[in-house]
Amino acid sequence: MEAGVAVVDRAETAAAATEACRSSRPELLVLDLELPDADGFRVLSDLGDVRPKSVLVLADRADGDLVLRALRLGARGYVTKAEGLRDLATTIRRVVAGERVMTPTLEKDAMGALGRLARRAREGADVEAGLTPRERQVLQLLGGGFTIGQIASRLGISPRTVETHVAKLYRKLGVRTRVQAISRAATLGLVDL
Amino acid sequence: MSETTTNEDSRTSASRLGVVVVEPFAVVRAGLVGTIDASPGLEVLAAVASAEEAMGIIDRLRRTRLVILVAMGLPGEQDAYWLIRAFRERFPGHVILGMGANADPNAISRALFTGADGFVDKNVEVDEFLAALRAAGEDEVVIAGPAAASVGTIAEGIERRRSPTFRLTRREREVLVVASEGLTAREIADRLGVRERTVTTHLARIYGKLGVGNRLAALRLAARSGLVSISQDE
Repeated sequence: MEAGVAVVDRAETAAAATEACRSSRPELLVLDLELPDADGFRVLSDLGDVRPKSVLVLADRADGDLVLRALRLGARGYVTKAEGLRDLATTIRRVVAGERVMTPTLEKDAMGALGRLARRAREGADVEAGLTPRERQVLQLLGGGFTIGQIASRLGISPRTVETHVAKLYRKLGVRTRVQAISRAATLGLVDL
Repeated sequence: MSETTTNEDSRTSASRLGVVVVEPFAVVRAGLVGTIDASPGLEVLAAVASAEEAMGIIDRLRRTRLVILVAMGLPGEQDAYWLIRAFRERFPGHVILGMGANADPNAISRALFTGADGFVDKNVEVDEFLAALRAAGEDEVVIAGPAAASVGTIAEGIERRRSPTFRLTRREREVLVVASEGLTAREIADRLGVRERTVTTHLARIYGKLGVGNRLAALRLAARSGLVSISQDE
C-alpha cells in the first residue's frame, strides 16, 4: 500500500464494517454506500462514537441530497467510484488532512440541498405553528394510518368532529386528499412515516 | 487601479448586481461598501446600520433582485434574525445573506432556518467574499468561511430547530426535563421551587405546543429532539 497509509481492517458487509470500526479503531473509514446487507448510511448512523475521525464515502451515485446526508452523518469526502478510484491515495490523504473532498459540482449540489432543507424546515415550522394542539394530534394519527373512526375513539370525540379537524388540516396544508396531506406533512417534517 | 475602468463601464449598464449592506459598525460598513463597489458586476445600492433602517430602504429600491447582506450582530430588539425573517416574508425574490465573524454552525443554522440563502464570514479573503456574493446572486446557496467545513452540523442544527420542542420556553423545557425523571407534578414543583399548580399549567401548555395528550408522548417527542434522554445517561 501507499507509504504512510496502512489498511488495518477490511469488511464486506455493513454489519462487519461497524464491527471493524469498533475493534480496529481506524483513523479513516473508506465506505462503499452500496453494501449487500444495508446501505452505507446505515453504517454511519450505527457507528456512533466509534465513528473514525475521517470518513470517505465511495458511491455509484452522487447528488446533492445524498452528499448532504453523508455529511450530516459525519462523512468528510464523497467521491463516485468512477472518478474517485482513480487517485484514491491522494484523496485519502486529503480527507485525513481534514479537507472536504468532493467535486465542485457536488459541493454546489450539496449546498442546494442544504437550502432546500432549510426552506422545508421553515415552512414546516410555520404550518405547524398554525395548527391547534388538537389538529396536531389528529395529524399524527392520520400519519399513523388510523381511520376517522379510530381517531375519534382514540381522542374521545365524535367522528364528525374529527372530520372537521381534518378539513381544517387540509386547508392549512394546502391539500385536497388524505394521501396528499400525509405526504405534505411528511415533507414538512410534521409526521414521521 | 486597473479595475476602475471596468467598474466605470459596468456602472452605466444595468446588469450590475445590486447589494444592500446592513452592518452596525461604521468602519466595517465603509470597508464593505468600498470593497463591493470596486468589484466588477456588483454595486452597493444602500448601506444602513440597523434593521429598522433596512426595512425602510428596500421598498424604495426598485429592483427585482437584490443581495441583502445582514450582519448578525445588529443591535436593538429587532435583531438580525428578525430582519432576515421579515425580509424573507416580504421580499421572497431577493437573496439574503447572513454575515458574521467566525460564526459558529449554530448561528448559521438559525440564519438559514430563519430565511437566509447563505452565510458569509467577514474573515474570508476578499476574493472569496465577492465570489460568494456573485454566486448568491446566481441563486446558489453559499457558505463562505470556517463554517463551510461544517455543512453537516449546520444541516443537523436546522433539523433540530424544526422540532416542536424548540418552541418551548426555557421554563417549559426545564419542567419537561425534570418530568422525564418520572416525578409527580408535586415533586417537580418541589424541585423547581414553584407551586404544583404552576407545574400542571406548564405541563398543559407543553402538551398543547407539542400536540400531544399525555406526558409519555411529550417525553417521546422531547427525546427524539434530544431535549431529554429517556435512558437517563445524560
